[in-house]
Amino acid sequence: MTHARFLFRRLVLLLLLASPLAVSAGIIVNPGVEGRSISAASLRNIYTLRQTLWPNRQPIVIFVLPDDHPAHEAFAKEKLGLYPYRLRQTWDRLSFSGMASTPIEVKDENEMRARVRATPGAIGYTSKDTVYDGIKILRLE
Amino acid sequence: MMASRFSGWNSLLLSGLLATLPAWADDLAGPRYHVQGFAAQGLIGSSDNRFFGDSEDRVSTDFTEAGLHGSWQPLDALRLSGQVLYRRAGESDQDGLRLDYAQADWQFYQTDVTQFGLKLGKVKLPYGLYNETRDVPFTRPGILLPQSVYIDNSRDLLLAAPGMFVHGASVQKYGAIDFLLGWVRPDFDSESVEYVFLGNTRPGKLQGKGTLGARLRWDAPTDTTLMLTYADARADYSPGSPDSLAAGKIRFRNLLATVQQRLDTLTLTAEYGQPQGNRRGFGPALPDDSRTVQAFYLQGEWRFRPAWELMLRHDIFYRDRNDKNGRQFEAATGLPAHSMFARDSTLGLRWDATPSLMLRAEYHHIDGTGWLPGPDNPDLFSREQRWNMWLLQAAYRF
Repeated sequence: MTHARFLFRRLVLLLLLASPLAVSAGIIVNPGVEGRSISAASLRNIYTLRQTLWPNRQPIVIFVLPDDHPAHEAFAKEKLGLYPYRLRQTWDRLSFSGMASTPIEVKDENEMRARVRATPGAIGYTSKDTVYDGIKILRLE
Repeated sequence: MMASRFSGWNSLLLSGLLATLPAWADDLAGPRYHVQGFAAQGLIGSSDNRFFGDSEDRVSTDFTEAGLHGSWQPLDALRLSGQVLYRRAGESDQDGLRLDYAQADWQFYQTDVTQFGLKLGKVKLPYGLYNETRDVPFTRPGILLPQSVYIDNSRDLLLAAPGMFVHGASVQKYGAIDFLLGWVRPDFDSESVEYVFLGNTRPGKLQGKGTLGARLRWDAPTDTTLMLTYADARADYSPGSPDSLAAGKIRFRNLLATVQQRLDTLTLTAEYGQPQGNRRGFGPALPDDSRTVQAFYLQGEWRFRPAWELMLRHDIFYRDRNDKNGRQFEAATGLPAHSMFARDSTLGLRWDATPSLMLRAEYHHIDGTGWLPGPDNPDLFSREQRWNMWLLQAAYRF
Protein backbone atom coordinates (compact mmCIF):
# COMPACT_ATOMS: atom_id res chain seq x y z
CA MET A 1 0.00 0.00 0.00
CA THR A 2 2.68 2.50 1.04
CA HIS A 3 4.76 1.28 -1.86
CA ALA A 4 1.95 1.95 -4.32
CA ARG A 5 1.43 5.43 -2.86
CA PHE A 6 5.15 6.12 -3.22
CA LEU A 7 5.07 5.04 -6.85
CA PHE A 8 2.03 7.21 -7.46
CA ARG A 9 3.80 10.23 -5.95
CA ARG A 10 6.84 9.56 -8.10
CA LEU A 11 4.59 9.46 -11.14
CA VAL A 12 2.87 12.76 -10.26
CA LEU A 13 6.23 14.39 -9.64
CA LEU A 14 7.53 13.15 -12.98
CA LEU A 15 4.46 14.47 -14.76
CA LEU A 16 4.83 17.84 -13.03
CA LEU A 17 8.48 18.06 -13.98
CA ALA A 18 7.73 16.98 -17.51
CA SER A 19 4.85 19.37 -18.04
CA PRO A 20 6.90 22.43 -19.05
CA LEU A 21 8.44 20.28 -21.77
CA ALA A 22 5.03 19.51 -23.16
CA VAL A 23 4.08 23.11 -24.03
CA SER A 24 4.48 24.29 -27.57
CA ALA A 25 7.31 26.86 -27.57
CA GLY A 26 10.60 26.63 -25.69
CA ILE A 27 12.83 29.44 -24.45
CA ILE A 28 16.45 28.78 -25.35
CA VAL A 29 19.61 30.54 -24.22
CA ASN A 30 23.33 30.29 -24.75
CA PRO A 31 24.80 27.78 -22.22
CA GLY A 32 26.84 30.61 -20.66
CA VAL A 33 23.66 32.27 -19.35
CA GLU A 34 23.22 31.60 -15.63
CA GLY A 35 20.14 29.97 -14.10
CA ARG A 36 17.61 27.34 -15.13
CA SER A 37 14.43 29.36 -15.18
CA ILE A 38 13.15 32.82 -16.03
CA SER A 39 10.15 34.71 -14.70
CA ALA A 40 7.35 35.69 -17.09
CA ALA A 41 7.91 39.36 -16.16
CA SER A 42 11.61 39.18 -16.89
CA LEU A 43 11.03 37.46 -20.25
CA ARG A 44 8.56 40.18 -21.21
CA ASN A 45 10.97 42.91 -20.09
CA ILE A 46 13.71 41.39 -22.23
CA TYR A 47 11.55 41.14 -25.34
CA THR A 48 10.14 44.66 -24.89
CA LEU A 49 13.77 45.90 -24.63
CA ARG A 50 13.42 47.12 -21.04
CA GLN A 51 15.91 44.63 -19.63
CA THR A 52 19.18 44.64 -21.54
CA LEU A 53 21.45 42.80 -19.07
CA TRP A 54 21.32 39.38 -17.39
CA PRO A 55 21.44 39.53 -13.56
CA ASN A 56 25.25 39.03 -13.75
CA ARG A 57 25.36 42.14 -16.02
CA GLN A 58 26.19 40.25 -19.19
CA PRO A 59 24.52 41.98 -22.19
CA ILE A 60 21.50 40.15 -23.58
CA VAL A 61 21.42 39.43 -27.30
CA ILE A 62 17.83 38.87 -28.48
CA PHE A 63 16.94 36.69 -31.46
CA VAL A 64 13.53 36.57 -33.12
CA LEU A 65 11.86 34.83 -36.05
CA PRO A 66 9.98 36.89 -38.69
CA ASP A 67 6.74 38.55 -37.51
CA ASP A 68 4.54 36.15 -39.48
CA HIS A 69 6.40 32.93 -38.50
CA PRO A 70 4.05 30.53 -36.64
CA ALA A 71 6.63 29.89 -33.90
CA HIS A 72 7.00 33.65 -33.37
CA GLU A 73 3.24 34.14 -33.15
CA ALA A 74 2.98 31.27 -30.63
CA PHE A 75 5.90 32.56 -28.54
CA ALA A 76 4.63 36.15 -28.49
CA LYS A 77 1.10 35.23 -27.51
CA GLU A 78 1.73 32.32 -25.13
CA LYS A 79 5.00 33.31 -23.44
CA LEU A 80 4.87 37.10 -23.58
CA GLY A 81 1.12 37.67 -23.66
CA LEU A 82 1.59 40.12 -26.54
CA TYR A 83 0.52 40.13 -30.17
CA PRO A 84 3.40 40.22 -32.66
CA TYR A 85 2.23 43.62 -33.94
CA ARG A 86 2.51 45.15 -30.45
CA LEU A 87 6.06 43.81 -30.11
CA ARG A 88 6.94 45.31 -33.48
CA GLN A 89 5.48 48.69 -32.40
CA THR A 90 7.62 48.69 -29.27
CA TRP A 91 10.79 47.73 -31.20
CA ASP A 92 10.15 50.39 -33.86
CA ARG A 93 9.46 53.12 -31.32
CA LEU A 94 12.66 52.39 -29.39
CA SER A 95 14.99 51.60 -32.29
CA PHE A 96 14.04 54.41 -34.70
CA SER A 97 14.42 56.94 -31.86
CA GLY A 98 17.89 55.61 -31.04
CA MET A 99 17.02 54.39 -27.55
CA ALA A 100 17.58 50.64 -28.04
CA SER A 101 18.66 47.97 -30.51
CA THR A 102 15.96 46.06 -32.27
CA PRO A 103 16.14 42.25 -31.81
CA ILE A 104 18.09 40.32 -34.42
CA GLU A 105 15.81 38.61 -36.91
CA VAL A 106 16.77 35.14 -38.14
CA LYS A 107 15.05 33.37 -41.03
CA ASP A 108 14.18 30.01 -39.46
CA GLU A 109 14.55 27.80 -36.41
CA ASN A 110 17.79 26.20 -37.59
CA GLU A 111 19.44 29.59 -37.79
CA MET A 112 17.87 30.51 -34.43
CA ARG A 113 19.54 27.52 -32.74
CA ALA A 114 22.87 28.12 -34.48
CA ARG A 115 22.98 31.80 -33.50
CA VAL A 116 21.91 31.19 -29.89
CA ARG A 117 24.54 28.46 -29.56
CA ALA A 118 27.27 30.71 -30.98
CA THR A 119 26.39 34.00 -29.23
CA PRO A 120 27.26 34.60 -25.56
CA GLY A 121 24.29 36.11 -23.69
CA ALA A 122 21.85 35.06 -26.41
CA ILE A 123 18.16 34.32 -25.90
CA GLY A 124 15.71 32.90 -28.42
CA TYR A 125 12.94 30.37 -28.81
CA THR A 126 11.95 27.33 -30.83
CA SER A 127 8.62 25.70 -31.57
CA LYS A 128 9.55 22.49 -29.70
CA ASP A 129 11.32 21.87 -26.42
CA THR A 130 13.71 19.41 -28.02
CA VAL A 131 17.11 19.27 -26.33
CA TYR A 132 20.03 20.25 -28.57
CA ASP A 133 23.75 20.21 -27.92
CA GLY A 134 25.17 23.54 -26.83
CA ILE A 135 21.81 25.16 -26.10
CA LYS A 136 20.15 25.55 -22.72
CA ILE A 137 16.39 25.45 -22.24
CA LEU A 138 14.97 27.87 -19.66
CA ARG A 139 11.87 26.99 -17.70
CA LEU A 140 9.24 29.72 -17.48
CA GLU A 141 8.38 30.42 -13.83
CA MET B 1 17.56 43.95 -41.90
CA MET B 2 21.34 44.08 -42.04
CA ALA B 3 23.61 43.26 -39.17
CA SER B 4 27.19 42.34 -38.72
CA ARG B 5 29.81 42.16 -36.02
CA PHE B 6 32.02 45.19 -35.95
CA SER B 7 35.75 44.71 -36.52
CA GLY B 8 37.86 44.13 -33.44
CA TRP B 9 40.30 46.92 -34.29
CA ASN B 10 37.81 49.71 -33.93
CA SER B 11 36.33 48.46 -30.69
CA LEU B 12 39.85 47.96 -29.35
CA LEU B 13 40.75 51.52 -30.26
CA LEU B 14 37.59 52.95 -28.70
CA SER B 15 37.78 50.90 -25.53
CA GLY B 16 41.41 52.01 -25.23
CA LEU B 17 40.34 55.64 -25.50
CA LEU B 18 37.64 55.21 -22.90
CA ALA B 19 39.37 52.73 -20.61
CA THR B 20 39.86 55.40 -17.96
CA LEU B 21 36.21 55.03 -16.98
CA PRO B 22 36.09 52.29 -14.34
CA ALA B 23 32.60 50.88 -14.92
CA TRP B 24 33.28 50.12 -18.55
CA ALA B 25 32.36 46.63 -19.63
CA ASP B 26 32.52 45.43 -23.19
CA ASP B 27 30.82 42.07 -23.31
CA LEU B 28 28.22 42.49 -26.03
CA ALA B 29 28.43 39.49 -28.34
CA GLY B 30 25.72 40.53 -30.75
CA PRO B 31 26.08 42.72 -33.83
CA ARG B 32 27.40 46.18 -33.07
CA TYR B 33 25.69 48.01 -35.84
CA HIS B 34 22.29 47.93 -37.43
CA VAL B 35 20.76 49.63 -40.44
CA GLN B 36 17.05 49.91 -41.21
CA GLY B 37 14.94 52.11 -43.42
CA PHE B 38 11.62 52.87 -45.02
CA ALA B 39 10.03 54.57 -48.01
CA ALA B 40 6.43 55.70 -48.39
CA GLN B 41 4.31 57.45 -50.98
CA GLY B 42 0.96 59.06 -50.34
CA LEU B 43 -1.97 60.17 -52.49
CA ILE B 44 -4.21 62.96 -51.18
CA GLY B 45 -7.49 64.39 -52.38
CA SER B 46 -9.69 67.04 -50.75
CA SER B 47 -13.11 68.55 -51.43
CA ASP B 48 -11.83 72.04 -50.56
CA ASN B 49 -8.57 73.56 -49.32
CA ARG B 50 -5.17 72.15 -50.09
CA PHE B 51 -3.26 69.71 -47.93
CA PHE B 52 0.31 68.67 -48.82
CA GLY B 53 0.10 69.91 -52.40
CA ASP B 54 -2.56 70.48 -55.00
CA SER B 55 -5.19 68.19 -53.48
CA GLU B 56 -8.36 70.21 -54.09
CA ASP B 57 -10.61 68.23 -56.47
CA ARG B 58 -7.45 66.52 -57.70
CA VAL B 59 -4.95 64.00 -56.47
CA SER B 60 -1.78 65.31 -54.90
CA THR B 61 1.22 62.98 -55.10
CA ASP B 62 3.29 65.46 -53.16
CA PHE B 63 3.64 63.49 -49.93
CA THR B 64 6.78 61.34 -49.90
CA GLU B 65 8.71 60.02 -46.92
CA ALA B 66 11.89 57.94 -46.88
CA GLY B 67 14.45 57.35 -44.17
CA LEU B 68 17.66 55.50 -43.52
CA HIS B 69 18.40 54.81 -39.87
CA GLY B 70 21.65 53.52 -38.46
CA SER B 71 22.91 52.73 -35.01
CA TRP B 72 26.34 51.65 -33.88
CA GLN B 73 27.38 50.40 -30.47
CA PRO B 74 31.17 50.75 -30.31
CA LEU B 75 30.94 49.82 -26.62
CA ASP B 76 28.23 48.19 -24.52
CA ALA B 77 27.43 51.49 -22.84
CA LEU B 78 27.71 53.74 -25.87
CA ARG B 79 25.21 53.95 -28.72
CA LEU B 80 25.59 56.27 -31.69
CA SER B 81 22.48 56.62 -33.82
CA GLY B 82 21.10 58.81 -36.52
CA GLN B 83 18.64 59.09 -39.34
CA VAL B 84 18.74 60.65 -42.76
CA LEU B 85 15.28 61.66 -43.91
CA TYR B 86 13.83 62.53 -47.28
CA ARG B 87 10.48 64.29 -47.02
CA ARG B 88 8.24 66.27 -49.31
CA ALA B 89 4.86 67.54 -48.16
CA GLY B 90 3.31 70.06 -50.52
CA GLU B 91 4.41 73.66 -50.21
CA SER B 92 5.14 73.31 -46.47
CA ASP B 93 8.04 70.90 -46.85
CA GLN B 94 10.18 71.02 -49.96
CA ASP B 95 13.50 70.53 -48.26
CA GLY B 96 13.95 67.00 -49.59
CA LEU B 97 16.92 65.25 -48.01
CA ARG B 98 18.04 66.26 -44.53
CA LEU B 99 19.75 64.94 -41.41
CA ASP B 100 16.88 64.13 -39.06
CA TYR B 101 18.97 63.46 -35.97
CA ALA B 102 22.40 62.28 -34.86
CA GLN B 103 22.99 61.48 -31.22
CA ALA B 104 25.36 59.73 -28.85
CA ASP B 105 23.81 57.95 -25.89
CA TRP B 106 26.04 56.99 -22.99
CA GLN B 107 24.43 54.58 -20.52
CA PHE B 108 26.51 55.40 -17.48
CA TYR B 109 24.60 53.20 -15.04
CA GLN B 110 23.14 49.84 -15.94
CA THR B 111 21.78 46.91 -13.97
CA ASP B 112 19.29 44.28 -15.08
CA VAL B 113 16.37 46.44 -13.88
CA THR B 114 17.59 50.06 -13.97
CA GLN B 115 19.43 52.26 -16.47
CA PHE B 116 20.58 55.86 -16.48
CA GLY B 117 22.05 57.59 -19.48
CA LEU B 118 23.02 60.84 -21.10
CA LYS B 119 22.34 61.58 -24.74
CA LEU B 120 23.67 64.50 -26.68
CA GLY B 121 23.99 65.76 -30.22
CA LYS B 122 21.12 66.66 -32.48
CA VAL B 123 18.70 64.75 -30.28
CA LYS B 124 15.16 63.51 -30.84
CA LEU B 125 12.69 65.53 -28.77
CA PRO B 126 10.36 63.65 -26.46
CA TYR B 127 6.81 64.85 -27.01
CA GLY B 128 3.78 62.65 -26.46
CA LEU B 129 3.52 59.11 -27.78
CA TYR B 130 4.44 59.48 -31.43
CA ASN B 131 6.76 62.45 -31.95
CA GLU B 132 10.14 60.72 -31.80
CA THR B 133 9.21 58.42 -34.68
CA ARG B 134 6.65 60.66 -36.38
CA ASP B 135 8.22 60.25 -39.83
CA VAL B 136 8.28 56.45 -39.70
CA PRO B 137 4.89 55.54 -41.24
CA PHE B 138 4.71 52.14 -39.49
CA THR B 139 4.84 53.71 -36.03
CA ARG B 140 1.97 56.13 -36.58
CA PRO B 141 -1.64 55.30 -35.79
CA GLY B 142 -2.68 56.72 -39.19
CA ILE B 143 -1.31 58.27 -42.38
CA LEU B 144 -1.54 61.60 -40.58
CA LEU B 145 -0.92 62.12 -36.89
CA PRO B 146 -3.67 63.92 -34.97
CA GLN B 147 -3.04 67.48 -36.14
CA SER B 148 -4.22 69.11 -32.90
CA VAL B 149 -1.37 67.73 -30.81
CA TYR B 150 1.23 66.87 -33.48
CA ILE B 151 0.48 69.84 -35.76
CA ASP B 152 2.59 69.40 -38.90
CA ASN B 153 2.82 73.19 -39.28
CA SER B 154 5.17 73.40 -36.33
CA ARG B 155 6.89 70.04 -36.80
CA ASP B 156 10.30 71.66 -37.24
CA LEU B 157 10.07 72.82 -33.64
CA LEU B 158 9.33 69.35 -32.35
CA LEU B 159 11.58 67.07 -34.39
CA ALA B 160 15.11 67.18 -33.05
CA ALA B 161 17.40 69.91 -31.80
CA PRO B 162 20.98 70.38 -30.63
CA GLY B 163 21.19 69.75 -26.91
CA MET B 164 21.27 67.00 -24.31
CA PHE B 165 18.98 64.81 -22.22
CA VAL B 166 19.51 62.85 -19.05
CA HIS B 167 17.31 59.76 -19.07
CA GLY B 168 16.50 56.86 -16.83
CA ALA B 169 14.34 53.76 -16.80
CA SER B 170 13.47 51.14 -14.23
CA VAL B 171 11.26 48.07 -14.18
CA GLN B 172 9.53 47.29 -10.90
CA LYS B 173 6.53 45.33 -9.64
CA TYR B 174 4.27 48.35 -10.17
CA GLY B 175 5.38 48.62 -13.80
CA ALA B 176 8.02 50.45 -15.75
CA ILE B 177 8.97 54.07 -15.21
CA ASP B 178 11.07 56.17 -17.50
CA PHE B 179 11.99 59.81 -17.68
CA LEU B 180 13.88 62.29 -19.85
CA LEU B 181 15.02 65.73 -18.75
CA GLY B 182 17.01 68.03 -20.97
CA TRP B 183 18.01 71.27 -22.50
CA VAL B 184 17.87 71.94 -26.24
CA ARG B 185 17.83 74.77 -28.76
CA PRO B 186 14.93 74.11 -31.14
CA ASP B 187 14.64 75.32 -34.73
CA PHE B 188 12.17 78.19 -35.11
CA ASP B 189 13.63 79.38 -38.40
CA SER B 190 11.33 77.73 -40.92
CA GLU B 191 8.58 79.05 -43.14
CA SER B 192 5.74 77.10 -41.55
CA VAL B 193 6.84 77.89 -37.98
CA GLU B 194 6.88 81.60 -38.89
CA TYR B 195 3.33 81.17 -40.18
CA VAL B 196 2.28 79.74 -36.82
CA PHE B 197 3.91 82.34 -34.59
CA LEU B 198 4.12 85.45 -36.80
CA GLY B 199 1.09 84.95 -39.05
CA ASN B 200 3.14 84.90 -42.25
CA THR B 201 6.62 84.36 -43.60
CA ARG B 202 8.81 87.29 -42.55
CA PRO B 203 12.05 88.74 -43.91
CA GLY B 204 13.86 88.44 -40.56
CA LYS B 205 15.12 85.43 -38.62
CA LEU B 206 13.42 83.69 -35.71
CA GLN B 207 16.18 82.24 -33.55
CA GLY B 208 15.47 79.53 -30.96
CA LYS B 209 16.87 80.01 -27.44
CA GLY B 210 17.42 77.53 -24.65
CA THR B 211 14.48 75.21 -24.09
CA LEU B 212 13.67 72.93 -21.21
CA GLY B 213 12.09 69.59 -22.07
CA ALA B 214 10.90 66.79 -19.78
CA ARG B 215 8.87 63.64 -20.04
CA LEU B 216 7.73 61.12 -17.45
CA ARG B 217 6.22 57.83 -18.55
CA TRP B 218 4.66 55.03 -16.52
CA ASP B 219 3.71 51.71 -18.07
CA ALA B 220 1.53 49.96 -15.51
CA PRO B 221 1.15 46.14 -15.39
CA THR B 222 -2.48 46.60 -16.47
CA ASP B 223 -1.27 47.50 -20.02
CA THR B 224 -1.89 51.15 -19.24
CA THR B 225 0.49 53.94 -20.24
CA LEU B 226 0.39 57.31 -18.48
CA MET B 227 2.67 60.09 -19.60
CA LEU B 228 3.37 63.78 -19.06
CA THR B 229 5.50 65.90 -21.40
CA TYR B 230 6.57 69.45 -20.62
CA ALA B 231 8.36 71.99 -22.80
CA ASP B 232 9.28 75.63 -22.26
CA ALA B 233 10.74 77.23 -25.41
CA ARG B 234 11.83 80.78 -26.31
CA ALA B 235 12.80 82.49 -29.55
CA ASP B 236 14.09 85.94 -30.49
CA TYR B 237 13.35 87.71 -33.75
CA SER B 238 16.06 89.61 -35.64
CA PRO B 239 14.34 91.83 -38.24
CA GLY B 240 15.44 91.76 -41.87
CA SER B 241 15.88 94.90 -43.95
CA PRO B 242 13.37 96.18 -44.81
CA ASP B 243 11.04 94.71 -42.19
CA SER B 244 7.74 95.93 -40.75
CA LEU B 245 8.48 94.01 -37.55
CA ALA B 246 10.69 95.04 -34.65
CA ALA B 247 12.99 92.71 -32.67
CA GLY B 248 10.33 90.80 -30.73
CA LYS B 249 10.30 87.77 -28.46
CA ILE B 250 8.29 84.57 -28.42
CA ARG B 251 7.70 82.14 -25.58
CA PHE B 252 5.96 78.82 -25.93
CA ARG B 253 5.06 76.48 -23.08
CA ASN B 254 3.22 73.21 -23.23
CA LEU B 255 2.14 70.47 -20.86
CA LEU B 256 0.85 67.39 -22.66
CA ALA B 257 -0.94 64.53 -20.88
CA THR B 258 -1.18 61.07 -22.44
CA VAL B 259 -3.28 58.05 -21.52
CA GLN B 260 -3.28 54.75 -23.38
CA GLN B 261 -5.07 51.53 -22.49
CA ARG B 262 -4.43 48.31 -24.37
CA LEU B 263 -7.11 45.62 -24.18
CA ASP B 264 -6.37 42.52 -26.23
CA THR B 265 -6.64 43.73 -29.85
CA LEU B 266 -8.01 47.14 -28.89
CA THR B 267 -5.91 50.24 -28.18
CA LEU B 268 -7.53 53.36 -26.75
CA THR B 269 -5.49 56.54 -26.70
CA ALA B 270 -6.12 60.10 -25.57
CA GLU B 271 -3.75 63.06 -25.44
CA TYR B 272 -4.52 66.52 -24.15
CA GLY B 273 -2.32 69.59 -24.45
CA GLN B 274 -2.71 73.24 -23.60
CA PRO B 275 0.15 75.06 -25.32
CA GLN B 276 0.59 78.67 -24.25
CA GLY B 277 2.13 81.17 -26.65
CA ASN B 278 3.29 84.70 -25.88
CA ARG B 279 4.42 87.24 -28.45
CA ARG B 280 5.70 90.70 -27.58
CA GLY B 281 7.85 93.54 -28.83
CA PHE B 282 7.16 93.14 -32.58
CA GLY B 283 5.88 96.71 -32.94
CA PRO B 284 2.51 98.03 -34.24
CA ALA B 285 2.43 95.71 -37.28
CA LEU B 286 2.10 92.65 -35.01
CA PRO B 287 0.53 93.55 -31.65
CA ASP B 288 1.52 91.77 -28.44
CA ASP B 289 -0.46 88.62 -27.96
CA SER B 290 -0.89 85.89 -25.38
CA ARG B 291 -3.15 82.94 -25.88
CA THR B 292 -3.71 79.36 -24.83
CA VAL B 293 -4.34 76.70 -27.42
CA GLN B 294 -6.43 73.65 -26.62
CA ALA B 295 -5.55 70.37 -28.35
CA PHE B 296 -7.18 67.03 -27.69
CA TYR B 297 -7.87 63.76 -29.40
CA LEU B 298 -9.49 60.44 -28.60
CA GLN B 299 -8.50 57.46 -30.72
CA GLY B 300 -9.37 53.78 -30.96
CA GLU B 301 -7.39 51.21 -32.90
CA TRP B 302 -8.72 47.71 -33.44
CA ARG B 303 -6.63 44.85 -34.87
CA PHE B 304 -9.59 42.80 -36.10
CA ARG B 305 -7.33 40.43 -38.06
CA PRO B 306 -3.60 39.82 -37.47
CA ALA B 307 -2.74 42.04 -40.46
CA TRP B 308 -5.71 44.43 -40.47
CA GLU B 309 -6.41 47.42 -38.29
CA LEU B 310 -9.26 49.88 -38.09
CA MET B 311 -8.75 53.33 -36.58
CA LEU B 312 -11.34 55.86 -35.41
CA ARG B 313 -10.36 59.26 -34.09
CA HIS B 314 -11.89 62.51 -33.05
CA ASP B 315 -9.44 65.37 -32.95
CA ILE B 316 -10.16 68.86 -31.62
CA PHE B 317 -8.04 71.98 -31.97
CA TYR B 318 -8.81 75.47 -30.67
CA ARG B 319 -6.26 78.14 -31.40
CA ASP B 320 -7.58 80.23 -28.49
CA ARG B 321 -9.40 78.51 -25.66
CA ASN B 322 -11.10 81.81 -24.79
CA ASP B 323 -12.34 82.27 -28.35
CA LYS B 324 -13.16 78.75 -29.51
CA ASN B 325 -15.49 79.69 -32.37
CA GLY B 326 -13.17 82.50 -33.54
CA ARG B 327 -15.86 85.23 -33.40
CA GLN B 328 -13.73 87.64 -31.38
CA PHE B 329 -10.82 87.02 -33.73
CA GLU B 330 -13.03 87.70 -36.76
CA ALA B 331 -14.44 90.89 -35.21
CA ALA B 332 -10.96 92.16 -34.35
CA THR B 333 -9.12 91.25 -37.56
CA GLY B 334 -11.75 90.76 -40.28
CA LEU B 335 -10.21 87.35 -41.00
CA PRO B 336 -12.38 84.20 -41.14
CA ALA B 337 -13.41 82.80 -37.75
CA HIS B 338 -12.93 79.19 -38.93
CA SER B 339 -9.15 79.62 -39.02
CA MET B 340 -9.28 79.55 -35.20
CA PHE B 341 -10.46 75.94 -34.82
CA ALA B 342 -10.58 72.50 -36.42
CA ARG B 343 -12.62 69.44 -35.49
CA ASP B 344 -11.52 66.38 -37.41
CA SER B 345 -13.30 62.99 -37.47
CA THR B 346 -11.06 60.33 -38.98
CA LEU B 347 -11.62 56.76 -40.13
CA GLY B 348 -8.56 54.76 -41.12
CA LEU B 349 -7.74 51.26 -42.35
CA ARG B 350 -4.34 49.60 -42.23
CA TRP B 351 -3.28 46.42 -43.97
CA ASP B 352 0.12 44.87 -43.32
CA ALA B 353 0.25 42.97 -46.60
CA THR B 354 3.62 41.46 -45.63
CA PRO B 355 5.87 42.22 -42.62
CA SER B 356 7.62 44.79 -44.82
CA LEU B 357 4.75 46.28 -46.84
CA MET B 358 1.93 48.35 -45.35
CA LEU B 359 -1.04 49.87 -47.19
CA ARG B 360 -3.30 52.47 -45.63
CA ALA B 361 -6.47 54.38 -46.44
CA GLU B 362 -7.91 57.25 -44.44
CA TYR B 363 -10.88 59.59 -44.56
CA HIS B 364 -11.19 62.89 -42.73
CA HIS B 365 -14.22 65.08 -42.22
CA ILE B 366 -13.08 68.45 -40.94
CA ASP B 367 -14.93 71.45 -39.59
CA GLY B 368 -12.52 74.39 -39.46
CA THR B 369 -9.21 75.36 -41.01
CA GLY B 370 -7.19 75.83 -37.79
CA TRP B 371 -4.28 73.59 -38.80
CA LEU B 372 -4.38 73.94 -42.57
CA PRO B 373 -0.81 74.33 -43.83
CA GLY B 374 -0.27 78.07 -44.42
CA PRO B 375 2.16 77.76 -47.35
CA ASP B 376 -0.34 75.53 -49.24
CA ASN B 377 -3.23 77.93 -48.58
CA PRO B 378 -1.84 81.47 -48.64
CA ASP B 379 -5.21 83.16 -49.22
CA LEU B 380 -7.14 83.10 -45.92
CA PHE B 381 -10.41 84.10 -47.63
CA SER B 382 -10.45 81.29 -50.16
CA ARG B 383 -10.36 78.65 -47.39
CA GLU B 384 -13.51 76.61 -46.88
CA GLN B 385 -14.76 75.89 -43.33
CA ARG B 386 -16.18 72.40 -43.91
CA TRP B 387 -14.09 70.06 -45.99
CA ASN B 388 -13.29 66.40 -46.55
CA MET B 389 -10.03 64.71 -47.29
CA TRP B 390 -9.00 61.18 -48.23
CA LEU B 391 -5.52 59.73 -48.23
CA LEU B 392 -3.87 56.55 -49.44
CA GLN B 393 -0.37 55.47 -48.51
CA ALA B 394 1.94 52.61 -49.38
CA ALA B 395 4.95 52.12 -47.12
CA TYR B 396 7.85 49.71 -47.46
CA ARG B 397 10.48 48.88 -44.85
CA PHE B 398 13.74 47.00 -44.81
